[in-house]
Parts: sequence; structure tokens; C-alpha cells
Amino acid sequence: MPRLDRMLIYLLLAGVAAAPLAAEEDPLVIATWGGAYERVQREVLFEPFEAETGIAVETVPYNGGTDILEQVPDLVDMAMSESLAACAANRLQSIDDLELPPGSDGTPAREDFIGGARHHCAITHTVYATVIAYDNQAFSGQRPGRVADLFDTETFPGKRALRKTPADNMEWALLASGVPRQELYNLLSTPRGLELAFRRLKAIRDSIIWWEAGDEPVDLLESGEAVMASGYNGRFFNAQLDPDSSIEIIWDGQVQEYQTWVIPADAGRPEAARQFIRFSTQTEPLVELAERLAYGPARHSAEAQIRRHPDTGIDMRPHIPTHAYNSANAVAKDIVWYAHTLDRIRQRFDEWLENGEDAEEAQ
Amino acid sequence: MSDSAESPTGHQDPGDVLRRVSLVVLLGALAGMVSAILANGFVAAIGWLNDLLLISPRSRMMEEDAWLVTLAIIIVPTAGGLVGGILHRFIPDRRPHSPADLIAAVQTRKGRLPLRTGLLTGLSSLVSLGSGASVGQYGPLVHVGGSVGSGLARLFRAGVTSDNIAIACGVAAAISTVFHAPIAGILFAHEVVLRHFALRAFAPVAVASVLGHVTAQLIWPQPPLFQVAEAEVAHLWEFGLFVVLGMASAGVAVAYMSALLRMARIAGSMKVPSMLRPALAGLGLGLTALWVPDILGMGSETLRLAFIEGAFTQWELLLVMVLKLLATAWCLGMGFAGGVFSPALVIGSLFGALFGSVIGSLLGLDLSALVVYAVCGMVAVTAPVIGAPLTTVIIVFEMTASYPLTIAALASVALANLVASRYFGRSLFDRQLTERGHDLSGGRSRAILRTHTLGELLSDDYVTVSPDARAGEAREAIVNAGSAEAYLVDARSHYVGTVHLHELVAAGDDEPAQRWCDSNALCMREDETVWDAMNAMRHFVGEGVAVLDKDGRLVGTVFESDLINAYLELLERMRKEEHATA
Repeated sequence: MPRLDRMLIYLLLAGVAAAPLAAEEDPLVIATWGGAYERVQREVLFEPFEAETGIAVETVPYNGGTDILEQVPDLVDMAMSESLAACAANRLQSIDDLELPPGSDGTPAREDFIGGARHHCAITHTVYATVIAYDNQAFSGQRPGRVADLFDTETFPGKRALRKTPADNMEWALLASGVPRQELYNLLSTPRGLELAFRRLKAIRDSIIWWEAGDEPVDLLESGEAVMASGYNGRFFNAQLDPDSSIEIIWDGQVQEYQTWVIPADAGRPEAARQFIRFSTQTEPLVELAERLAYGPARHSAEAQIRRHPDTGIDMRPHIPTHAYNSANAVAKDIVWYAHTLDRIRQRFDEWLENGEDAEEAQ
Repeated sequence: MSDSAESPTGHQDPGDVLRRVSLVVLLGALAGMVSAILANGFVAAIGWLNDLLLISPRSRMMEEDAWLVTLAIIIVPTAGGLVGGILHRFIPDRRPHSPADLIAAVQTRKGRLPLRTGLLTGLSSLVSLGSGASVGQYGPLVHVGGSVGSGLARLFRAGVTSDNIAIACGVAAAISTVFHAPIAGILFAHEVVLRHFALRAFAPVAVASVLGHVTAQLIWPQPPLFQVAEAEVAHLWEFGLFVVLGMASAGVAVAYMSALLRMARIAGSMKVPSMLRPALAGLGLGLTALWVPDILGMGSETLRLAFIEGAFTQWELLLVMVLKLLATAWCLGMGFAGGVFSPALVIGSLFGALFGSVIGSLLGLDLSALVVYAVCGMVAVTAPVIGAPLTTVIIVFEMTASYPLTIAALASVALANLVASRYFGRSLFDRQLTERGHDLSGGRSRAILRTHTLGELLSDDYVTVSPDARAGEAREAIVNAGSAEAYLVDARSHYVGTVHLHELVAAGDDEPAQRWCDSNALCMREDETVWDAMNAMRHFVGEGVAVLDKDGRLVGTVFESDLINAYLELLERMRKEEHATA
């Protein structure tokens, strides 16, 4: 009996000690965007985080939208517009009380983060831009340089790879029609403006290849399947690092949006997720991300420290979307508008896609 | 009228001049800042109400409940009309005031715009615009700005001339603020309100306009009405088309203004109580907007879309233009408070776009971008309505910073005002004033002479005799008074006629004086205007004219010399106001 008791105590003790260990083995599951983007995140964020906390990071592929929340990862790298919509639907945890460290220059986080970076359910880490890029070998003579050229299939013939979403494409359709960038969302709110955007897209529909994953547009351009493509500026930048690359970015009409960290309502490891947000939004990792990915950092202290690409040594500032040289005609995505309208517009967009395919089949 | 004031070369005390100049400039600065803050607050409040009440396209798009959106389009303008109708009961003459009232006050040197009327008009316009009535925001803003200026002038105990300048300052700042166009603000105040260029007025008005602009940028900045991405004139010969478009636009302007006046008359003869008319207008508007939502509210989105190629078909342009014109006449005629400027901008840009698009397809040519034609039409319809061609061109310049667009607008406006004035009058405001008895078409002097009546110039220096007096008595009375004529007045003071000394000379003493009575002698009513009296006395020879009250009783006489003096004094005051430097 005493021996049995002792054995039991040992077992219990072992169990108590093992329990947290077993829990530690549960990785932090982060839904993020794959490709070069994720590789850099792993190098700059995930691995140092694992080393510092002993919490393993696993990723699940994510291509935008809020459906990912059904899989319940612990953390999602989500665009602000979708964060707002998910937050309004109570699908995200509040992270209002999460305290963030001051910037590397001592500026309190409240002042260091760019305007509108913090939300009830989301914390911005980068400003990314959706831009139009083209293959500079595809056109002899004149090259495209404006948003309107995306819709000009006469002067610039060839396939266009566009993301299968109404966002960005609607904005560009109106920009190409001569709508000033400040008036885009007010006019997209009128039935007439929305109609015009769809008509404009319809005019080039036969030339569109729809993409969904962030790496596709680069592949489509490099393989020659498309001559122009929309995509995230960082992805195109990454491709441009190859000296043989023929990809060029058109900064005109770049659509800027905030990329945020959000924690799903039912996330299994909220504490670890919060710990990760604190860790990953400090000045230094943000600078490193920007220098590798060419996205704008969410902290002023980080923006000021951007220098050169670590491998190639090129000056990174002209590749950052928020740089003055690139942002002259930038569109600030109206995320509040999207939070309330995206579902309905997407529905309309999907119907439009379906009807269009029917129509094509009928032809 | 001291000598010092008459000499511009400097007999005035420099200290006194400095004090007066700084007072009027300070007044202008204050009026500018207050007016700018009010104007921006007004614009922001309209936007807020439009979003809250599901009137703005943005809020309608963002609202997920489609039924709520449909319901709002009918209920909100109706309720807005009801509130407006009730508010108007608190205005002394029971109607919202407009820039016309302000112009009349300045042109006839009355000044003293009542602040209460100004603020109530502003409030009621806010309700109209906030609830989606098809009216403009600039008229009310101009009126509120002018009322604020006038109110401040009273606070500073300034004279009528300074009061007028302060009104112009408030107006300039309001325009400067809402259009982000300080030069246009200054021009508008001169072109529409003051109607003369005096350095004395220019300095404070310029200060008000610039300071208003700066204040508005500092406090509560609002986005501009419209922006233009880029616009070039493709072919030089298109300037010919712009001139033609301008003349055609004048026709649209005349149709618009005539519709406004006619609808006001029709509404006046309706059996609906005037308090309920705006509500009825709101209901009608809402029901129409279910079909064509573009006509709702001030129409900023419609205006912006008219600039965009492919947003409307030609038929849609025509339909929306006609409906917007009718909707505005309907709303304003039925008593919604609001202006005529913004709807004119919308109607004009739709017309310009229609013109450009039709001509383009008729000629089969690639013309300049649609926005150029839309802007030309916008300017050429608006300028005749407000009577300010230069202001509208400069607004385009300041808002778009596009020189090609400005020159195109100038070409279209060149003949527009001239053509419209042939068929309608200098502007809608002038026509409204004419209908109220202030005809400004004869210039300021005539307008001012028309605001003074003979009652103010009466003299009691005359001789009366009874109608049954003898000629001898009459003669004696006239000679004793050192006069040349006498009025025959009965026991109840009724005027019978005039007897002249040179005729009585031949008469026997005992003959009745009435035999020599000149019963056709010129006599006038005391409420006749000085202008009419001067005209009537053109061929008058004699001393004075008998002035009667409305019952025919003699109340006094007016001498030709008094009329001439009154006229000269008026000219002198106007000269000082319009030409003096300080």
C-alpha cells in the first residue's frame, strides 16, 4: 500500500508537471498568406517568437475573407476591412486591454502607431498596397503607367490577372472612368456609380484571369499567361529582387489598406496569441518586415528606420507604398464602408461572375 | 457731408482715417471668421443629418435593411417639410429669406439684416437640406453670413455704409469657405451684393474672405463640393462649341428661373395651408425619388457623376435634368427653405454633359472629356441664375486649379448672362426683387429713390384758403406769406385745387377765388416714391406740389428744390460709398 501510494503520488506529480508541457506542445496556429510573405514572417516573427517563449508556431493557409474563422486558428493576419466586419459580427475577441510596448525611440505606443491602427478587435502591423503590375517585355513601345491602362485592351492587349473580389477592381474601374480618388466610395454608393464600375469591368471581362492566392499574380506574369496583374506590392517586390524579373509596378491608384492581427472569438490559445501580437508589433520586427517585404510599417518609429534590403542592399524606401513618391494618387481603402457593404457587393459580384460565365457558355 | 470727407487728397485727420479703416477691417475679420465657422458647421450638419436619416447615397448603401431605406426616402422629406413649415411661422414675414432680401438691403442702403430671420432661415434650410429636399445650400449660407455681418455691425454701432460692407464680408467668407475659393468669395460679394468696386469695401471683404478660408481650414475642414481628376481641351475649335453651349445653357437657366417663379405662384393659389405645403412637397419628392433617386437632396453625387463618361445614357441625362429642374421648382415653390445655386450646378452639369455627348455622337468626333462640357454647362446655367459670371468662372478655377477648364468655362459663360438677361433679367434675385417692388434694373440710384417717399420731404410752408374765399382774400393771403400760390382746402382739409397769384392779379376783389382755381394742378400722394415724384415733376413749373394723404386731405407741400436736394444728397452718399478710399 505505501509503495502503491508513493507510486500514485509520483504519477500524480509527473502528471501535474507533464500537463503544462503537453499544453506547450499545442502550437500557436496562425492563419496567414503563404509564399514569400510567410517565409519572411517565419524568419522575422515566428522563429524568434518560438525561441523567446518556447511556443511553437504553426500556420494554416489563408487567402482573405472571414470564412477562416470557422477553422478557429489562434490568430489571423486579416485585412482591416474584414476585421471590422468580423468584429461587428462578434466573431473576434476584444483586445482593447492589450498593452503594447513603446517604440524603440521611447514614444508611447498610442502616439507611435499610425492613425487608425488600433481597433477594438484588431491591431495593425503593416500598410500594404494592392497595385497593378505589368510585364515590361509584353509591350513594345508605349508602356502602361496609369490605372486607365488596365482597362485599355486596345493599346495594351493581353490577359489581366485580377483578384476574384469586387474590392480594388471596383475602385479601379471608377478611377479609369475619371472619378477622383476622394470621391470613389460616395459614387460607388450610388446605384449608377456601382453600375458603371461593373460595366467597366465587363468591357474587359474576356481578358480577365481571376486569381485568389497572393502568389498567383506573380506566377501569371512570370509565366507570360498575363501581361498585367493586380497584386500585393510586397509580392511584386519580392519577384523584382530577381535581376531577370520583368515585373514593373504602376503606383498610380494603389489601394492602401491596413493589415491587422485578430484573435477569433473561440481561439484555443488567446493568451499566447496576445503574447505574439505584443512581440510582433514592436519597432524592430516591423522594420525588419518592411525591409524584406516592402510593406509600410504601422509604427512611425519603424518607418523612420527603414534602410536597405538585407540581402541585396537596395534602398527600400522607394519601394514602400506609403513613401511620398508612390502615394501621390493612392486610394485609402474605406474600410468602414466595406465593413457594411462588402457582403452585398460580393454577392452581386458573384452573381455577375456566374451570369457572365453563363453568357459566355451560351455564346 | 463735411468738406474733409469730400476731399480725397487728404484734409482728413490721418488718425481718424486710421481708426475708421481699422474698425471696418476688424469688423470684416470678425464677420469672416464667424461666418466661416457657421458655414462649415452648416455643411457638416447637413452631411451628418443626411447620413443619419438615410438620405446620402453612402448611408443608404451601408444600411442593410432595404425596407428601411425605401421608407426613409418617403418619410424623411415629408417630415422635414413639416418641420420647415412650422419653423417659418416664427419668421416675421412667415417665409424664409434669400439672397434677394440681402441684396435689397444693401442696394437700397438699408443694411440692418435681422439676425433672427437670418438664423431661422438658416435653421429651416438645414432641415430642408438635411431631409433631402431638392434645394441648394449656398443661398442660405450667404444669407446667414450676411446676417452675421450685419449683426456684428450693429454690435459695433457702425453706420449704414459699414453695415453694408459687413454684410458683404459675411457673404464673401461664406462663399470662400464652402467652395474653398477665397477669390470667388470676394468677387461674389462685389458682383452680386455690393455691385460696385470701392477700395473701402474691398479691403475688409478681402480680409474676411481670406480669414474665413484660413479659419475654415483650421477648424472643422470640409471636403470640397467636387473635384476634377484631369481635364484638357482636345481641340481649339471646341471653344466655339463652348460658346454655343453657353448660349443654350442660358435657355436652360431661363427655363429654370421661370419654373421657380411660376411654381411659387401656383403654390400661392393652392388651397393647402402654407404651413403644410412643404410637407406635401416632401411627399411628392420622395415618391418621385423612389423612381429616380438622383433628384434627392443637394445632388452632390449626381453632379459628380455628370462629370463621368458613361455614368448616364443621353436619355438619362435628359430625364434627370428635367426632373431635377422640376423637383427644385416644386420644393422651393411649395415653401421649402433653401437656395437655387446648387440645383443650378447640378442641372447645368447634366445639361453640359448631354450637350457634349449629343454633339460628340452627331459629329462622330472625339471631343474633349465629358467633364469639360459638364463644367461649361454648369457654369453657364448657374451664372445667369445668380447674376455672377466672373464668380462662377473663378469658382471653377479655384476648385479645380485647372487653367484649360477655366478658360473653357469662361468661353461658355461669355454670352450666357447677356442672352439670359434679354429674356429674363439680370438674375433670379433681381427678378424676385422686381416682383416685390424693388427694381434694380435702373441702377442703384433709382432703387434708392424708390425706397424714399414724399412723406419724408414734406414742408408745411404753404398757404391755404377756403374754397368759398373771395379772390381779394386769397390774393392778400398769398402776398402776405410771400408766396405765389395757395391751396384751396375745405373744412374737412380736403384739397380742392390751387390758385396762382399771377392769375388772381386780374380778378376783381369780390369774385370767388374758385373761378381761377387750377383743379388740374399737380398734386401727389404722400406714399409716392421720390423717384416717381421726380418723374412726375419733369414738366412741372411752379413752387411746390400739394401732397395728399390717401383720403385726399392736404398734408403738406413738397418743393422742387427739396427733391433736387434729396437726389443730390443720395448721389453724394453713393459716391462716397462707391468711390471713397476710406
